[in-house]
Amino acid sequence: MAVQVPKTLVVTSSEAGRYSLSGVLTAQVPGQVFDPLLKLKSRQPIAIDLSGLSAMDLNGAALLIWLQSTLEKSGRSVTFAALPESFEPIWELAKKTLGPPTPKPAELGFFEGVGQSVIDFFQDLGALIVFLGEILAALAGVIFKPWKIRWSMTMLTVERAVVNALAVTALVSFLVGLILAFQSAMFMKLFGVDIFVADLVGLSLIRELGTLLTAIVLTGRSGSAFSAELGSMKINQEIDAFLTMGLSPAADLALPRVLALTLATPLLTILADFAGLIGGNIVMITLGHPVVAFWIELSSHLDTSDVATGLFKSFIFGFVVAVVGCQRGLAAGGGPGAVGEATTKGVVTNIVLLAFLDSLFAVLFYVLNW
Amino acid sequence: MFLIGKQPVINRSGRETPPLRVSSLRVAYPGGPTLLEDVSFIVEAGEIMGILGPSGCGKSTLLRHLVGLETATSGTIELFGENLWSGQGAELNHHRRKFGIMYQGGALFGNLSLIENVALPLKEFTKLKPGAIETAARLKLALVGLSGFEYSMPDSLSGGMRKRAAIARALALEPGLLFLDEPSAGLDPVTSAGLDQLIVTLARNLSLAFVMVTHELNSIMATLDRAILLDKEKRGIVAEGTPDYLAHQSPAQEAAAFFRRGSRGGILATQKLDTN
Repeated sequence: MAVQVPKTLVVTSSEAGRYSLSGVLTAQVPGQVFDPLLKLKSRQPIAIDLSGLSAMDLNGAALLIWLQSTLEKSGRSVTFAALPESFEPIWELAKKTLGPPTPKPAELGFFEGVGQSVIDFFQDLGALIVFLGEILAALAGVIFKPWKIRWSMTMLTVERAVVNALAVTALVSFLVGLILAFQSAMFMKLFGVDIFVADLVGLSLIRELGTLLTAIVLTGRSGSAFSAELGSMKINQEIDAFLTMGLSPAADLALPRVLALTLATPLLTILADFAGLIGGNIVMITLGHPVVAFWIELSSHLDTSDVATGLFKSFIFGFVVAVVGCQRGLAAGGGPGAVGEATTKGVVTNIVLLAFLDSLFAVLFYVLNW
Repeated sequence: MFLIGKQPVINRSGRETPPLRVSSLRVAYPGGPTLLEDVSFIVEAGEIMGILGPSGCGKSTLLRHLVGLETATSGTIELFGENLWSGQGAELNHHRRKFGIMYQGGALFGNLSLIENVALPLKEFTKLKPGAIETAARLKLALVGLSGFEYSMPDSLSGGMRKRAAIARALALEPGLLFLDEPSAGLDPVTSAGLDQLIVTLARNLSLAFVMVTHELNSIMATLDRAILLDKEKRGIVAEGTPDYLAHQSPAQEAAAFFRRGSRGGILATQKLDTN
């Protein structure tokens, strides 16, 4: 006659302190099956009869060891009895193999964490300043010997980072100009001064927004690409290969990128400014002003210094975006997440720096009365 | 069949169902060349079986089909008596949980520590308490000789340690069948021998079936019970048998070429030196 073998694990108790496990003891046991044992209030010794087990694997053996150590931690002694002979080798293997647990590495406390972040911040800043020095030194080395600049790579970067970004920059800027004009026109129309929307849109785009928007688009599109490119070169030991050939990553890899972005960002900014102005102009047309009114109004208030400050900033921003992007890539650590981390760090540093520099310039230009 | 932990799977004829049965597998790109033709073999419980062959003969392609990453043009793959491609989605995933796999580079999750890597399948697919999962994961790591490295991150380990950790992860749910993709590739001879030893120990003690893709002669001789040899020209199995048989007695020319490449190369090299 066939004996009924349970397909899962069953824990039964015949009398207090005596339990028996029967069925299949693997990782697939029901989650709560050991609760009667774990929730025991009494401290009396526990004897567990294993004769009813029909299958057991190493996970099952691990479960028994866990059960025993958990119960013993709360001060009860546990004995196993009558393990079927066929499972003996697995049980012995598990007991022999499993050593005492390794202590978990201590995690940083709150204050230590804050301290570490501050240290990291200053180390990052230091590395950035050192790299800035390297780039400037590399630049100084080639500035009177322009034939030494890697023009092919510089031009390739101009194409990939700037020419290919024309459409997206123009679109973003156009929409911002449109929104800016639309939002301000709604209010200014109440006072009958909606013609001044032209000045508002024009000045804010040319002095601030066009420049900033372009720099942010470049950060997301090119700065991050630089970090990722150089970061993966770093973890593939290509940077090491570069260094051991006696080449300098700053001069040979970063400088062409920095030059490309620095020289081409102002051009991209001019395009962004125009696209934004066209957006503003379209709103003005819908309000009933002729096309020419927008441009005449704008030119009567727009000064050379407005255009100059905007373009000057775009030079600096292009330079910063490229330098930070390259530095973060070259400073990528080891490990699988390194490239992603380097890219994130590059983008975050860039956006923070851009906002910071823009406010600095705003104060500076105000003081200089430009 | 001693030392068996799980209940043997018994089919109606009363014989044990093999962990893996491949029948007339054919792999061809649609409208393109045929890569494998009429590949059939069986892997028994507790057996270490090798898929051998020179580079480009379709070893890795065959492995990708065996683990259900790609579908064959025709033929069947049975895992413990059930057709791997009997369904999609949840059913396919259910079949996939019946085996473990170690990828060539280990493919450990880089943002998790070793113990988290091993515990992941247990967390996802069992209802065990955290403490029990930790004990089971610790046992698997100890089994592959990685006690004390539980909280190390994969990128801080050597290649051999990563491969052993990958075996520990493949063993997490204790499947009856393990696929290993080039376990010895890129390892030094000592580490490689240690890994071979581990594989044999696991197969004998836990009666696990192993399917190994490899072309390291030392590893082949030290571990395999049986092997199939694939060939690029003939697009399928050209020889089958124990490593000893394949190396010394098999009538297939490809087998002789595969096993004796070392010594032949050596002789050629010596002759060249002599003439110089």
